[in-house]
Amino acid sequence: MTDTQDAVSTVAVTVNGAEIQANPGELLIDACERTGTYIPRFCYHPRMSPVGMCRMCLVEVDTGRGPALQPSCMLPVTDGMTVDTESELTRKAQDGVLEFLLANHPLDCPVCDKGGECPLQDQTMAFGPGESRFIEEKRHYEKPIAISDTVYLDRERCILCDRCTRFADEVAGDTLIHFMDRGNNTQVNTFPDEPFASYFSGNTVQICPVGALTAKPYRFKARPWDLEENLSTAWTDSVGSRITVQSSRNKVLRVLGVDSESVNWGWLSDKERFAFEALNSVNRITQPMARADSGSDLASTGWAAAMSTIVDVLTDVDPARIGVIGGARLTNEAQYAWAKLAKGILGTDNVDAQLGDGLPAAVVLGLPRATIADACRPGGTIILAGPDPKEDLGALFLRLRHAVVNDGATLIELTPHRTGLSGIAAHSLHPRPGELGDLAAAVVAAGSGTASDAAGVAADAIAAAAASISGPVTVVLGRASLAESSAAIVDAATALNGLADVSFLSALRRGNVHGALDAGLAPGLLPGRTTLADGGEAFAEAWGSVPESTGLDTAGMLAAAAAGDIDVLVLLGADPLSDFPEAAAAEAGLAGAATVIAIDTLPNASLVAHADLVLPAAAATEVDGTFTNLEGRVSVCEQKVTPCGTARSDWMIAAQIAQRLGKDLGIESPAAARAELAALSAVHGDLTEAALAAAGVEGVLCSGNGSIAEPAGSGSVDPANDAYSLRLVATRRMYDAGTTLSHSPSSAGLARSIELRLNPADFDKLGVEAGSVVQLISNKGELMTPVIADPGVPAGSAAIPANSPGANANQLIDASQPVTDVRVERS
Amino acid sequence: MPTHDYIPHAAGYVDNDGPKIVTSRFPYEDSYTMERSEATGGYEGLRTALSRRPADVHTEVRDATVLGRGGAGFPAGVKWGFMPPGKFPYYLVVNGDESEPGTYKDRLLMERDPHQLIEGCLITCYALGLAQCFLYVRGEMALAQERIGQALNDAYARGYVGKNILGTDFSVDITLTWGAGAYIVGEETALIESLEGNRGMPRLKPPYFPAAIGLYGQPTIVNNVETLANLPWLMQNGADQYTTYGSETAPGTRMVAVSGHVKRPGVYEIEQGVTTFRDLFYGDNFCQGIREGHELKMFVPGGGSAPWFFPEQLDLPLEARAVGAAGSMLGSGALIVMDETTDAVKAALRLVRFYARESCGKCTPCREGTTWEERVLQRILDGEGRPSDIDMLLDIADNISPGPYPVAADPSQDLEAVPFPPKQTTICPLGPSSVAPITSTIRRFRHEYDAKITKRDTIPVSAAPMNAGAVS
Amino acid sequence: MADPLDYLRGFAVTFKKLFEDRVTGDYRGGKAKEGAPDNKRPKPERFHGRHVLNRYEDGMEKCIGCELCAGVCPAKCIYVRGADNDPDDPTSPGERFGYVYEINYLRCIHCDLCVEACPTQAITESKLFEFSFTNRNDAIYTKNELVVDDDGMPQKMPWEDWREGDDQLTSGWMRATSSAGDHRYEGSVHWAGELGYGVRAPEVGQSAGTISTDGGNSPAEVRSENDG
Repeated sequence: MTDTQDAVSTVAVTVNGAEIQANPGELLIDACERTGTYIPRFCYHPRMSPVGMCRMCLVEVDTGRGPALQPSCMLPVTDGMTVDTESELTRKAQDGVLEFLLANHPLDCPVCDKGGECPLQDQTMAFGPGESRFIEEKRHYEKPIAISDTVYLDRERCILCDRCTRFADEVAGDTLIHFMDRGNNTQVNTFPDEPFASYFSGNTVQICPVGALTAKPYRFKARPWDLEENLSTAWTDSVGSRITVQSSRNKVLRVLGVDSESVNWGWLSDKERFAFEALNSVNRITQPMARADSGSDLASTGWAAAMSTIVDVLTDVDPARIGVIGGARLTNEAQYAWAKLAKGILGTDNVDAQLGDGLPAAVVLGLPRATIADACRPGGTIILAGPDPKEDLGALFLRLRHAVVNDGATLIELTPHRTGLSGIAAHSLHPRPGELGDLAAAVVAAGSGTASDAAGVAADAIAAAAASISGPVTVVLGRASLAESSAAIVDAATALNGLADVSFLSALRRGNVHGALDAGLAPGLLPGRTTLADGGEAFAEAWGSVPESTGLDTAGMLAAAAAGDIDVLVLLGADPLSDFPEAAAAEAGLAGAATVIAIDTLPNASLVAHADLVLPAAAATEVDGTFTNLEGRVSVCEQKVTPCGTARSDWMIAAQIAQRLGKDLGIESPAAARAELAALSAVHGDLTEAALAAAGVEGVLCSGNGSIAEPAGSGSVDPANDAYSLRLVATRRMYDAGTTLSHSPSSAGLARSIELRLNPADFDKLGVEAGSVVQLISNKGELMTPVIADPGVPAGSAAIPANSPGANANQLIDASQPVTDVRVERS
Repeated sequence: MPTHDYIPHAAGYVDNDGPKIVTSRFPYEDSYTMERSEATGGYEGLRTALSRRPADVHTEVRDATVLGRGGAGFPAGVKWGFMPPGKFPYYLVVNGDESEPGTYKDRLLMERDPHQLIEGCLITCYALGLAQCFLYVRGEMALAQERIGQALNDAYARGYVGKNILGTDFSVDITLTWGAGAYIVGEETALIESLEGNRGMPRLKPPYFPAAIGLYGQPTIVNNVETLANLPWLMQNGADQYTTYGSETAPGTRMVAVSGHVKRPGVYEIEQGVTTFRDLFYGDNFCQGIREGHELKMFVPGGGSAPWFFPEQLDLPLEARAVGAAGSMLGSGALIVMDETTDAVKAALRLVRFYARESCGKCTPCREGTTWEERVLQRILDGEGRPSDIDMLLDIADNISPGPYPVAADPSQDLEAVPFPPKQTTICPLGPSSVAPITSTIRRFRHEYDAKITKRDTIPVSAAPMNAGAVS
Repeated sequence: MADPLDYLRGFAVTFKKLFEDRVTGDYRGGKAKEGAPDNKRPKPERFHGRHVLNRYEDGMEKCIGCELCAGVCPAKCIYVRGADNDPDDPTSPGERFGYVYEINYLRCIHCDLCVEACPTQAITESKLFEFSFTNRNDAIYTKNELVVDDDGMPQKMPWEDWREGDDQLTSGWMRATSSAGDHRYEGSVHWAGELGYGVRAPEVGQSAGTISTDGGNSPAEVRSENDG
């Protein structure tokens, strides 16, 4: 770049006598910070629009009309601007503002959770007057009031910077807190009888520049100087939000969001933020357990005995009679170790990290890939053909929302019912359950001129949606409802792949499920996005052998086990009873397997009911490794605390099993597993230690489709309409009865009990009343549930949450059918 | 000799026999009705305007130099010229949130002659090519809301407002709305926030003035009620006629509201730049002097936000530039007259308390500073004042409004005037407004403060290191 | 040749001292036999001994669990954890109390920085220095041992050698200004009246001349107002 171009693209600003080059349009406060001059601030936050409320960032600025105090957070740089951040006038203003802020700020520092890491403390020390002349009685409010289940508000401490209220309004879209009263009595508060029930409330605690907002899980747990921290990656969903894990005395006490430009921008969902509590649960599995016979309870045993049992059951077994279900909890390295153990050493291809609730690997891996940034391109189009990101992938929801609200991206929803994004979507099309493929095909066809009714959606709505598609298109693709099979989504994906300039962002929700697919934890797959057919030869050379033919997926394994064709079933952090769409099939499968080995951190329903042998596994904060997010971005997860009890890392368990079987897995550390994966994989070539270290918070993006071909249509036929039945829609919610959440004290109570939502038009037809309790009957089972009217649910659909406390939707679902029909009867 | 005294149906208005540009219908008891309006030349200005090209109407207003009557005194014709071209739609917002302490002229204009205001809005809309006007009336002014509402209905019925006004292809909708009772909403950006349905808190300007980015992000003209009420007369009589009244820099008349220790307080329509404060307070046509047996101590020349004047400033004309140079402002045209029985500290506290209560809470210096000032003043009055308090008050004031604060000259102390306006660390002028009574009174009547300081034994606060405090 | 008497002269000091009063006391650490003298020298006013955790007169603990003592401790011998006060049965005033409070006396160097750091004067030091342990666990004093009893007196552990007055002299510290904004305290360096066990006059030189002379403002009077 030549000097001339430099002069055009930057603006010269004089800061404290030295000239700096700023980017046009950049705010003065940012330009100064970037070039090493810190201007104190409270209300300004780089991820939110500036408001200029706190007046802390006032600096003396001369734009040619004489020097004057200006808020640097509201002032874009202009050429020739002269700034003095240390002048007498500036310092007096900073002194003055801090004295004003402290006038009514209580001296709570010794008992305040923010004390020690408090911007108000820090800036008072750095820029403050050092003394107060305020001798009047301070303003008083009731000490902390709980504004939600996880957040306390202490209004005495609040300096009214508008950060939390702006976050709630601008970023999360949950405008549930606001200013009330005025003058010196201005306060932040919730609306009467409406708690700050936002899935993102924890972020307000993190961005509060004082201790006005504090989090219940961290309340009085430690002081900042007790804490040690690690950069890590959130493990509760597949967004891969970057976090810092903070612990004291070998116990994780807090998780904070880290600003990663490519992923989460510093925001976290409350699940990502507070689910660490489960890892401190007293219910953690701390030592191996075994069940003497099927009628007895699990009893503690030792590792040596447990390993002996494993060797006994795995020796001389036909590899086809071994199955491994799960693995999304594991790190990439542990997943690779388990893939190598199962496919290379045990020789079985009956391996599946998904529990029948996801998408076929070919669809996830074989389509043109998009990153989150791709999806959020200004002027692009986002087609949501998947779950509600607000419920499933909180941080992704915030990014998508920002793209639509602030950057002019167009959002088109193809979802079973309204989602958290419907309010800002350009078009919300709700196909009949099971007919998403038809709708997608109709949208694509309408783009080339022929709009017709499809899947219960009118032709003009389809035409309008198709007409609004512009710019690069990103399809956010996932499994919205557990009550429909993935066939319709496969069809939708193949149809949407016909759009111009289209790419796909997977919305599979479970932790490291994308890492598991990349590591080959799926039938027919090998590490590095390749298949047995394509990569078998190379891996046979590296591993000694690979399975000859494609094995069974989870549904197949459960069916085979029920038929007595599986002897050993390994549950690698999996709970089929709760998560497999059809409870009866999971029950039959687990009961039918001769030996069920569960390797897990916390007890779950399947483990308690069916495991013959339980091995304690180290949890996410207790292991070293990497996670792969839904973009294919690999980021580090660093060990923060020692594993609970005698728990061991999953890769270590795999290596020990191999060793006990007289084989050598060849993996002695997570780094070794990573190096082996990088060497063998077609897509992990860039995953070197140096690259990981250099990437910092951004992580290493492993792009490319490997050798996975684009999927073909499923060839399925639309389900027939049954005039007497409703089609079941079972969608996940952020808070459900899942194992992690139910062991997190502050989150467990947030899971709402089951409710059936029906379109108001369906009530008359069914003869039930809103608010009453009804019986929901399918050919697999029945549930009692209260019913409410929801115009966001299309007529003919019956929407229930999956896995709610006390009633799991999978008791109703028939996983063998494209959709599950249900009937509603008065109880 | 006064020709008229108070008119019962226009409470507070006094006819002073001077030129009547905006108060011509006030003597009629039914001045607010369509019938009276039409019988006395109502909507003739609109017809005149519609017969001309919009640009010519704009030029007429600019030539007449109609100064804004809301407080800042900016020429309306020039303000109209700031609208960026081609960024439709534009909006006109009428600021009827009159709540400056001492001011009640706009209320009279809205209650007594709503048609004149509506006509002014229409002329503005025609001149600028606007199709939507919002009339924002202060929440407490129930009668004004009622009468404007009725007048709007009548005007719609007669075809003055709405589609194809008077048979032309000019169409305007006027929407009446009102606030929930907040002084700050009189600030134009806060008014826009309130109009959008948000909490009434000012926006920072720069970067964006309402004329560029205003209501719903669109270019918006915000004008005061009285400013627009001038336009019908101006259209009928022309700029030449208009500028024969008043002075060269401040043509026309303006309404002033005088309250306090004068014999005849009230609202007067006076000639700008001609009438002096002395004329106003002592003239027989006007207030007829300070109440019997007392003499003038001080007066507030332009609403509660204005720095105070003293007898030396009596001979200044009521004209924005002259008053500004002398250290205050004409502002909203409210004059509060105080005689020698007034306690300067108490008077200052009364005004400061108003600003402390009305601060919107958005920016720190105003939210915390105004209340702090109020409490220190109260403490001084309660006999708990300390010697350091007076300088501390000035320093708190300096942290809200840095640099020399506008103040009137004081020949007895050889002090020169500091011209208007003040600087501010706040977003809007409310914070600095609270400083006016403090600096004005301390500078002139420091001895009154000193006399109330009783805690002479205490060590100055600044001797105490702050970080040694503890919970107790 | 040396004078043989030099040898005896060398003992002159020795013989002289044999018949003078001894400078050292007969100190046997409280283990003297019945009737034998056990003289202990008076300890300086600011002597740093074993800590106590103070309480308010109504029995509430002063410790709020803020961990400032633990944070400042150069020997890292203090372990504190805070917890929420039960609103119906609070342990200390305010929201938070010291839920865990432990001092490891095998590490403590009695520097008194914890006492200076304490914002509520919850931790102060007594004059007791004679305590030894037969196992390491005994050396870790928990809140049960450190907190004062119902009379505000330090608890006396069986292995501690308390002498008369050791508890009376529970150390205090200075504060330079008022905490709650009471202007009467401004600028006056004073001993806080509610400190530890016992109330003493300010040290010489700490308060002289800093207070105006017109009365009603001296630290002692301020204190008595407070106490009353």
